[in-house]
Amino acid sequence: MKAIIALSILAVLNMFFGVRKMKKVLLPLIFIGLIITMILNISDWGKSVHYFNEMFIADNFSIAFSSVLILIGILIFMFANIYYKGVERPLEDIYALILFAIIGGIVMASFGNLILFFVGLETLSISFYVLAGSKKFDIASNEAAMKYFLTGSFATGFLLFGIALVYGVSGSFNLEAINTYILGCNGNVPMIFIAGMLLIFIGMSFKIAAVPFHFWSPDVYTGSPTLITAFMTTAGKVASIAAFYRLITIAFISLHSELTTTLTVIAVLTIIVGNLSAVYQDNLKRMFAYSGVAQSGYLLMALIVLGPKSAGILLFFVLSYVIATITAFAVLMLIREERGTFFIPAFRGLAKNNPVEAFAMAIAMMSLAGIPPLAGFMAKYNLFVLTAEGGYTWLVVVAVIGSMISIYFYFKPILASYFSEGEPQHKIESSVNFKINILVLSILMILLGFLPQVIINLL
Amino acid sequence: MFEYIWLVPLFPLIGFLVIFFNFRRLKGVTAGVLASIMVFIPFVISLFFFFGLMNGAEAKTVELFSWISFNKLSIPFSFLIDRLSGLMLLIVTGVGFLIHVYSIGYMKEDAGFNRFFSYMNLFVFFMLLLVLGSNYLILFIGWEGVGLCSYLLIGFWFKNQEFNNAAKKAFIMNRIGDLGFLLALFMLIHQFGTLNFAEIFSKSSAIPVGTFSITMITLLLFAGAVGKSAQIPLFTWLPDAMAGPTPVSALIHAATMVTAGVYMVARSNLLFVLAPVTLMTISVIGIATALMAGSIALFQNDIKKILAYSTVSQLGLMFVALGSGAFTGAMFHLTTHAFFKALLFLAAGSVIHALHGEQDIRKMGGLKDRIPVTFWLFIIGSLAISGIPPFAGFFSKDMILIGAFHSGYVLWVLSVAAALMTAFYMFRLLFIVFWGKAAVAADPKHPVHESPKSMTIPMSVLAVLSIIGGFIGVPALLGGSDRIQVFLAPLFSSSEAFLKHGAEVSESSEILLMTIPLLLILGVIFLAWSFYVKNRNIEQEEPERSFLGNLLYRKFYVDELYDTIVQKPVAGLSTFFHDTIEVKVIDRFVNQTGNLVVWIGKNIRYMQTGNVGAYLFFMVISIILILVLNLFK
Repeated sequence: MKAIIALSILAVLNMFFGVRKMKKVLLPLIFIGLIITMILNISDWGKSVHYFNEMFIADNFSIAFSSVLILIGILIFMFANIYYKGVERPLEDIYALILFAIIGGIVMASFGNLILFFVGLETLSISFYVLAGSKKFDIASNEAAMKYFLTGSFATGFLLFGIALVYGVSGSFNLEAINTYILGCNGNVPMIFIAGMLLIFIGMSFKIAAVPFHFWSPDVYTGSPTLITAFMTTAGKVASIAAFYRLITIAFISLHSELTTTLTVIAVLTIIVGNLSAVYQDNLKRMFAYSGVAQSGYLLMALIVLGPKSAGILLFFVLSYVIATITAFAVLMLIREERGTFFIPAFRGLAKNNPVEAFAMAIAMMSLAGIPPLAGFMAKYNLFVLTAEGGYTWLVVVAVIGSMISIYFYFKPILASYFSEGEPQHKIESSVNFKINILVLSILMILLGFLPQVIINLL
Repeated sequence: MFEYIWLVPLFPLIGFLVIFFNFRRLKGVTAGVLASIMVFIPFVISLFFFFGLMNGAEAKTVELFSWISFNKLSIPFSFLIDRLSGLMLLIVTGVGFLIHVYSIGYMKEDAGFNRFFSYMNLFVFFMLLLVLGSNYLILFIGWEGVGLCSYLLIGFWFKNQEFNNAAKKAFIMNRIGDLGFLLALFMLIHQFGTLNFAEIFSKSSAIPVGTFSITMITLLLFAGAVGKSAQIPLFTWLPDAMAGPTPVSALIHAATMVTAGVYMVARSNLLFVLAPVTLMTISVIGIATALMAGSIALFQNDIKKILAYSTVSQLGLMFVALGSGAFTGAMFHLTTHAFFKALLFLAAGSVIHALHGEQDIRKMGGLKDRIPVTFWLFIIGSLAISGIPPFAGFFSKDMILIGAFHSGYVLWVLSVAAALMTAFYMFRLLFIVFWGKAAVAADPKHPVHESPKSMTIPMSVLAVLSIIGGFIGVPALLGGSDRIQVFLAPLFSSSEAFLKHGAEVSESSEILLMTIPLLLILGVIFLAWSFYVKNRNIEQEEPERSFLGNLLYRKFYVDELYDTIVQKPVAGLSTFFHDTIEVKVIDRFVNQTGNLVVWIGKNIRYMQTGNVGAYLFFMVISIILILVLNLFK
């Protein structure tokens, strides 16, 4: 709760300084604000405070996922000056929208009531719609925003309808009360309630871009400004999966067995279609969109099994995903800035002229592909072990096959930067600051690979 | 005191790292001096340890850290210091140090001076690991490490393709043995659930003699020893290994690495006594190797090859001792052999050095007066290896022969025959090289010269050791107290007692066992003298040889045999595997799978039409499907 208040104040202050054209103040202000927010957020650790009549619950789970969201904010703003290099405008509107989206994400990780859940979801989504179109004079950006808005509102409609049905049957928006209602039915839950629940899950599947509700994501992620794509693909996924987990484990835990078949089918489709579609992409941005789809499939596995360590593994998985994705996007932005393209040949000979960038990119891609001993490997490893222990061995087989396919496309930029034969591209100038940032992130990915239990055992 | 045992391997490791990473920067003999110091310090430490052990210090296992631990298997990274490893430490660091010092003079002119010393220090490091390991895995690391260094040093002059081939041959033949060793490790884990010596040996006492698994384990361990210690059928690499610089031959291929097999079997004596079949095998292979290599050495003309075959033959005798349960005899001979064979190699190196690289003994001769120091050292070495009292070889060979006698007359007779061959080929070598007239006129530009002090002093030390080294094992019969037997008793006495067959040899027959071989050896030396000094019967050209002579000269055609029965079929098989199985089956399958994935990827993207209406249509269909399938099941 403190985090939301701090962030709101920060966003308003940011708008104020922006209107006064104090461009130089903005980024430092935001960094300080985000760090304060992070501290305030963590200060509630272990207390499990309930606010506003069970509307908002700050338990360890929500604090952990909120921290990841705030971390995403810090990382995104870290690379904002690379992306918006040469823009005169203070950009306070975009910054504010990013901050508001984070607020929405935190609400999605902390709700205790379906109304607040919906409010958080819409805060996040509407910020995203606008952010996707924030490159006003770019037709692709406009198209992305429009597509996102149309399909998004369509999915939101179903989601809201689902909430209404659940409320109509159970008589409450409160998650605990809904669970009590289900238990009271003694196995005879009305069909209309189940329909409502399924509609909510369909809405969530849309948000995490699970197949067959993923169609928006490649188009939107390709068209949006790159920095925003990095933000949406990470923050959107973290917030949505946290919300999904809360819904399943608190409100609908008693009906979990009814859902596993549907969720499993969706997870398998997501892993296979996501990875296979990414194979043919030479446009890295688009490839990331598809690989993000596949990653959602892995995340769903944790929701299917719900073992004792599900939450911790989920947290570790999103953390390693966030760090790797943002590192990769940072390098991608730099390259696009210089070479004007997102295609693989832009990486040719990168290792020779820009060893630090090539190294960070390689670490990020290998982490995403799940190469030991990096963080991404430990995340997948723990997740797969959890799934296998839960009795879903064949699901693990599918996931491993998916991972194998993913190596093909994740290694394309690595191969291009280290082993390509052709004439290497010219050197890209980048600031020492940038180099240090991506190096720190790379080291973090290596370090997390050795200490996964530190994160997993938090929850 | 023993807690600091980790210092012993640490110094050569530091030496290796420092020299290896600065090998372009170190000038002059700096690297050689540094490397020698890095072996000398562990030698001093080892001396302290050794005297501690002699004064009755308890054996100790020093655990550095827990290394591998999963399930019930736990393998610590730990060292074992007891009387056996203490003795080996002294040999490795002592002889190693002397050879390092010698190499400073020997390798001075070589462009790869720094590289040479970095490898040498690395070798000493791995050899110390091998000797100090308190479990089979650490031993195995050292075992593989010394194999690597051996490979690097045989192919030290890598511009010569033949030398490279020799290096590869050594490595591959060792790998064959190592496979056996590795399988033995797995079987040990299966059988005992551990690889630690202490646990295995204490558990083994409960196992009855001759069980299948122990026989298999010991046979496989012995297979490893066969590779490393160059026994039949894996012995052909050692003569070829002479391609390396001579100090390498002295250190690795005579004094230390090749004796690792003997050390390993001796270390595992409590296992081997449980497998009579294995002991029998060891004896048979040992004596066969000793005779075969000894007879080949009779007809060779390359000074280093003769010494190499001699090493193979002596190692064979050590295995005879091991097979007959005379573990102390094997270790004793290992020790004295390290002294006199290192001496002989270094002296041979000195001869080669004096003659600017000449290795063919037919082109030598009359060196007695021109390099007198080397000459006298060579004589000492030859007397020692031939088993003339009071030189070191006499006592250790005597112990082996008595051990062989315990196993049966046949083994004894054959062992004596091997010893006679030793005397003949050594004195043939000695007489041809140092007596007579110089076969080739001396080149005035490159006069024959005595080696520098840095080479002669280490040799002299080894010569002294070759003279007095045997006194640690003077048998009671000659008024000695057989100190090595007493020293190693904690390790071997139970095994040796376990194997004692029948009655003790009486004193009178022991005298006979000692004098008969001695008289025969003296006769053989006289024979060699009359051949090569009195009549100076040296063929400069390729002589007409009898069938047997040719067989020996051509080394029993073993290399050719292996080429036909192993190398060619294997090469043919691997060509088949590559051209047919690999390219036509596996590659095609793998590539088609990849192509299929890419093809699906290519086509699946057409689902992504870019048309929002189509997306919504897909979504609605999916929603309906989900609702229907879930609600009306």
